[in-house]
Amino acid sequence: MTSRQLAALCLGWLCAGLLPAHAADGGADRTEDGWLRASPQYAWSFPRDHWSHPGYRSEWWYLTGHLQAADGRRFGYQFTFFRVGLLQEVPDLDSPWGARDLLMGHAALTDLSSGEHHFSEVLYRAMPLLAGFPEAAAHKDAAAHKDAAAQEDADPQLLAWCLAPAGTSGRWTLHFNGDGFDLRMMDAGAGFALDLSTTADKPLVFQGPGGFSAKAKGPDPGASQYYSFTRLRTSGHVVLGGDTLAVDGSSWMDKEFGSDKLAPRQAGWDWFSLQLADGRDIMLYVLRDADGAIDHASGTVIDAAGGVSYLAADEFAIESTATWTSPHTGAVYPSGWTLRVGDVSLVVRPLLQDQENVGQRVGDLFYWEGAVQVLDDDGNSHAGSGYVELTGYGSGRRPGI
Amino acid sequence: MLRFFGRSLAAHVRGGRSLFALTVFGVALGVAAVLAIQIINRSSLAAFEGSMQAVSGEADLTILGRTPSLADSLLPVVLGRPGVAAALPLVRLPAAVASKAHASRANALFLDIIGVDFFTPVRLPWQGAPGDLAAALGQRGWAAFTPTLAQQQGWTVGDSVRVWVGSREVCLVVGALIDFQSLSPLASSKLVVVDIAQAQVLLGRPGFVNQIDVVLAEGADRERVAADLITQLGAGVRVVTPQQRSTQTAGLLAAFRLNLTALSLISLFVGLFLVYAATQASLVRRRAEFGTLRSLGASRGQVLALILGEVSVLGLLGVALGLPLGYWSARANVDVVSIALTNLYLLDEIAAVRVPLSLYAQAAAIGIGGAVLGALIPALDMSRRDPRALLSAFTMHERIDALAPRLAQLGIGILGLSGLWFVAGGQRWQHAGFVLAVALLAGLPLLTPWTIRRLTGPLRVNGFGLGYSLKSLGARLQSSAFAVAALAVAVSMLVGISIMVDSFRDTLEVWIQTTVQADIYVSPAAWRGPGEEGYLDRDLARQLAAWPGVLAVDRLRSFAAYTEQDERLMLVGVDVGLPVASQRFSLLLGDPATAFQRVHEEGFVLVGETLARRKNLWVGDEVRLYTPAGIRAFPIAGVYYDYDARGGGVLMDLRTLSAHWQDDALNGIALYLQPGLDADVVVDQLRAALPVEALDLLSNRRLRTEAINIFDQTFAVTRLLQGISLLIAVCGVALMLLVMAREQVSELALYRALGSTRRQIFGLFVGKGLGMGGLGLVLGGAGGVILALILIFVINRAYFGWTIQLHWPWWSFGEQALTILATSVAASLYPAWKASRTPATELGREDS
Repeated sequence: MTSRQLAALCLGWLCAGLLPAHAADGGADRTEDGWLRASPQYAWSFPRDHWSHPGYRSEWWYLTGHLQAADGRRFGYQFTFFRVGLLQEVPDLDSPWGARDLLMGHAALTDLSSGEHHFSEVLYRAMPLLAGFPEAAAHKDAAAHKDAAAQEDADPQLLAWCLAPAGTSGRWTLHFNGDGFDLRMMDAGAGFALDLSTTADKPLVFQGPGGFSAKAKGPDPGASQYYSFTRLRTSGHVVLGGDTLAVDGSSWMDKEFGSDKLAPRQAGWDWFSLQLADGRDIMLYVLRDADGAIDHASGTVIDAAGGVSYLAADEFAIESTATWTSPHTGAVYPSGWTLRVGDVSLVVRPLLQDQENVGQRVGDLFYWEGAVQVLDDDGNSHAGSGYVELTGYGSGRRPGI
Repeated sequence: MLRFFGRSLAAHVRGGRSLFALTVFGVALGVAAVLAIQIINRSSLAAFEGSMQAVSGEADLTILGRTPSLADSLLPVVLGRPGVAAALPLVRLPAAVASKAHASRANALFLDIIGVDFFTPVRLPWQGAPGDLAAALGQRGWAAFTPTLAQQQGWTVGDSVRVWVGSREVCLVVGALIDFQSLSPLASSKLVVVDIAQAQVLLGRPGFVNQIDVVLAEGADRERVAADLITQLGAGVRVVTPQQRSTQTAGLLAAFRLNLTALSLISLFVGLFLVYAATQASLVRRRAEFGTLRSLGASRGQVLALILGEVSVLGLLGVALGLPLGYWSARANVDVVSIALTNLYLLDEIAAVRVPLSLYAQAAAIGIGGAVLGALIPALDMSRRDPRALLSAFTMHERIDALAPRLAQLGIGILGLSGLWFVAGGQRWQHAGFVLAVALLAGLPLLTPWTIRRLTGPLRVNGFGLGYSLKSLGARLQSSAFAVAALAVAVSMLVGISIMVDSFRDTLEVWIQTTVQADIYVSPAAWRGPGEEGYLDRDLARQLAAWPGVLAVDRLRSFAAYTEQDERLMLVGVDVGLPVASQRFSLLLGDPATAFQRVHEEGFVLVGETLARRKNLWVGDEVRLYTPAGIRAFPIAGVYYDYDARGGGVLMDLRTLSAHWQDDALNGIALYLQPGLDADVVVDQLRAALPVEALDLLSNRRLRTEAINIFDQTFAVTRLLQGISLLIAVCGVALMLLVMAREQVSELALYRALGSTRRQIFGLFVGKGLGMGGLGLVLGGAGGVILALILIFVINRAYFGWTIQLHWPWWSFGEQALTILATSVAASLYPAWKASRTPATELGREDS
């Protein structure tokens, strides 16, 4: 081999390494525009995987739960950080504003005693002044902005943060506390704040074998990496209308990341997270097409001891029993269901009909995210509680992410 | 009576078509001048507001630095304050397109690059999903252009556009075409919007912005939020409302706008003279008609109404013609004014002309009102007369003849009183100069009849020569006085402004001669002057200092600073320690040797004359300025001459400036070469060797020429207005000669019967035209000299604080005199031809 041929070969390897992975292995690992795709072979590593995954286009940390104050007032809450990947790398610009990601934060507090639903949102680019997704301590990127790095070094358990909405001082934060997650948010304009700490009562579970959650049928389905903490003992404070209330209760945490968008035929999804009184937890989701027919469905049952069984689409059924028309957006949402999972039948009812979140930061972003109660099949006795998310309803709008 | 009004008007028009046309034209020109200037005045302000509106949307408050830029780390503080619904950081930077077609400064295509955070709720008409913004964020140089500019330049999405920003050449990519003008119709088409990260890279100042716009939450109290922000952000910032910003700009432009308005009103004034004279002439001619009407029973009121009605129709026609003419000339001249504005005030150029209906209404009211006002005195006079007097064959000429001395006394009285008032204390009022100018322009016409009589009275007449023509002007004061007076007003404006502009130009040349001492001047090509962001790379000064043949390097830094009273002024830092520095600024007050030593070694400052006069700051006083560390006092060591339209500056040593403002950027570098080296040759060498084409490298000679070019561009608009006035005045000459040709029909017929040739009569009338031109010149020349003195020593001092050395532009006087005489002759050709056609058979007609 001449030195010239050697050089050509080296150059070839180098180029191969720089090319998007799908060009190297048939398009399985990366999207056409170079984002990493979810894989059944994903090598999970905790606690590292609680932190962000920049090579993937989208990622979210989703906490929902039921809380009760000492005086008996009951609340439902939601806290979500979305990471929207704009670029795969931080652009090479000599400015702190050069950003790779966008952070969207949503928080909601439903006062089940008074029947009021409060929603708050933020949208910032991830840059040292506004928002960030710190690297896990062991994976620090040396090139990260000095200030941000210093700030994040001082807070090694921080998963994501952003400034509170304009008009409110403070920061929204999400920490991994070793056993669970701590969250803080505040919005003076919307008049509520959350400061909650959670501890896992059940171990982490993968949603889908190996944490690979397919979102369609077929040999190369759209998918995400997906895991949950289905029972998180929760305590902390809720501020509402100037009152600070000590609360405790139970939460559910979902973490998903991936790069696939909904398939073109899919219009939205119905998603259920239910904590049953007998110690079992159930996650179900249904992806609908534009006619409302089921395009794809999947689920997971976690028994009281943490044992997991995955459900195929034909192993459960969800039937809507009522609808609710939003006075805010005109969208018509299902508002009550009967579920059949194996030999168990359950009735699910919203604890409040109007739990719709209507975003102002991104045009046409609205969805229903609400606290529900679970009753046994006669619809009378308490069988559990949970949260339901309904997207893609109203004027045929598809969720952007 | 109404029917009679219609018939009489029609007959009047038929009877004197050219007379009628001239009168209408006079009103039209006056209206057009006023309208055009008002439109331009408004557009100049709107241009500034329009561009801000497009990017800032409906910001309720704007946070600005009292120092050149603002740290973006203030943003979280702003966002966290109660009542704030959104905070939008903005970076503004000027750029110039780097291409052969735009290489010369005259053809330069300047862009206004605005950096915004694409993820704050800016009102950009963005059509895509957030993901589509990836290119805007990640692609170096990605920029959104207006479709208008892209179309003009033939750019399409994906094209690269090389631009100069500071001393660097960068490549912008046309990433999207966004119609900012749909958001704000007056936004400049040269607006370019980039993501804030890109803007900071272009500016070379990561972490800094120029302003933060704040949108308030619904129901938030603006004053309270502003006060809270000031408390939170400290003394380094100013929090202003959009209105306050506009007011500041309006204040900045007030002097310029006032000058333009004054000039346009003079045009209208001259136009009114024309209407007055025409009405007077037509009334005299129709004296018998009114006598008949009165004797048939028409009341005085009816006659008055008839006359004023006719004049209103005349005014209306003038307005109908003047409005489109005014709009058209505003459009045609907007570029000229735009250049003046960008030169003088570094404002956005005027991109579009928008006219609210009220402006048209205002101009129409001025036109019709002016015509009626102009005709009121002759009309009242005519309606009051006894019918017998109107019908008798007596002429009115002796009336004004008899009045001439009294009118002159009145004129002298006005001039004297206004002078006394000024000396006795009026001068303390900023607008006093305009009172003097108005008094002069009012007094001058009053002096005209008497002057004509005095000048033409002693003439001896031998035959049909020029002497006879002049004498006849003196004999027909009623007609000639008005034309001469109108011409005199126009000429005095022409002469006065010429003297002022030429003196100014001359002073500026001397000033440039003494202050432009370096051999080569280096500045960023996109830099439009002090107060703009446009930096030179820091190592460029070192690189240039090491260049063969360079003896010394003088560095300049300039930006807007704020006094303790929050007034904006220009802060200039130079290397005062250089041996040549003392020559760069000639001092009005203060001993140069000690002054420059103190500035260099003891942190003293020099203040510009304009600032010194405006703020009454002199040697021994101190200027108190905001620095990042709070307010600091700087003692004044001297006052230097400057010609800054924006309120003057403070000059300090570059070291003092860097120490107090922690700013080491540069806007300009001056090179001193070894004796014997040709600056132009070195400029060429530097151009070839330096990788930076983004620099303006000007040799001493070129810089002087450039400066004078800019000056000439700036005053182009005043020359235009002078032209309009002169045109109106010349119309007056033609009009009066037509009137005379008509009035003197029987006299001319007599001459013809006595054997005069047509040629002689033609010559007589041309002589009259020449005579009017000459008399207008004499009176206007005298008035013009006084007006020049008022402009130079009172108005310019009061508004700009400039010291202008008086300079007599004899050559241009000569040129102007010849032009006026030639134009008067040209204006008299048609009336002379008409007069020469008078047949001897008209002898029987009664001379009216």
